[in-house]
Amino acid sequence: MKVTFTAYHAVAEWKWDLPEDSDDTCGICRVQFEGTCAKCKYPGDDCPIMIGECTHCFHMHCISDWLHSESSQGKCPMCRQPFNQKVAEAPAAPLRTPGGVAAGS
Amino acid sequence: MLKIWSMKQAQQKEETAQGPAKKKKVTAAQLRVQKDLSELALPQTMKTTFPNPDDILNFILTLTPDEGLYKSGLFTFSFAITQNFPHEPPKVKCQQKIYHPNIDLEGNVCLNILREDWKPVLNLNAVIVGLQFLFLEPNASDPLNKDAAKDLQEDRDRFRRNVKTSMGGGNVRGETFDRVMK
Repeated sequence: MKVTFTAYHAVAEWKWDLPEDSDDTCGICRVQFEGTCAKCKYPGDDCPIMIGECTHCFHMHCISDWLHSESSQGKCPMCRQPFNQKVAEAPAAPLRTPGGVAAGS
Repeated sequence: MLKIWSMKQAQQKEETAQGPAKKKKVTAAQLRVQKDLSELALPQTMKTTFPNPDDILNFILTLTPDEGLYKSGLFTFSFAITQNFPHEPPKVKCQQKIYHPNIDLEGNVCLNILREDWKPVLNLNAVIVGLQFLFLEPNASDPLNKDAAKDLQEDRDRFRRNVKTSMGGGNVRGETFDRVMK
């Protein structure tokens, strides 16, 4: 039997790479992380997620609004520890200096 | 290849073409309040009413404690939520003049989560549970009505009597209170 495709719809799914056990909604706006904060229209890169050192996650716009308010005192709204963005793990290979690259080629 | 980038540009173009919002925009605060209200799990002793059904940011909570010193009273609280919600707590006021260590004669409420301990991950349910708790366990530390707090601390029986008198619309320490019996 021969099958001929006349048309197809490609479907893709994406998810943020969040710490294990994290909620699936932002505690501030209560919208899913894969959705947008209340101010944004399009999810994804336009409305990114911020992960704290305490592993609590929020839409970047939601948490920055909170951290800019006086009453926040810079604390995580979940655990009240000082909220600092978790620094991404260092790249596996050390970066080469431009000079080194030139010498190697 | 899928041209996601050009799709995005098309979206943006469309957005600017539409010009400034043509219909009334639902604000972030409204969205969040809507979610909070849909998740409210009110016990039989509490009820919300919306004087203006189109305005979910302002409503009344009726509380009728079925135990504790304030049993069989009927208290109403006005909730006013600003556009800054959930970054700012709702403004909650008791609409009756009552004798309570944590509520002053103007109806201002002293509840930590309505003030210094507010955080945006708290929801309206937390506030409402907090209010209910104030009526079950009035708290003499950090009071708004110092006389009532003193009574509660020094002589619980006197406090109980004063609560009863005040709830009946009586006079306690020269202040006349609103009658709040159901």
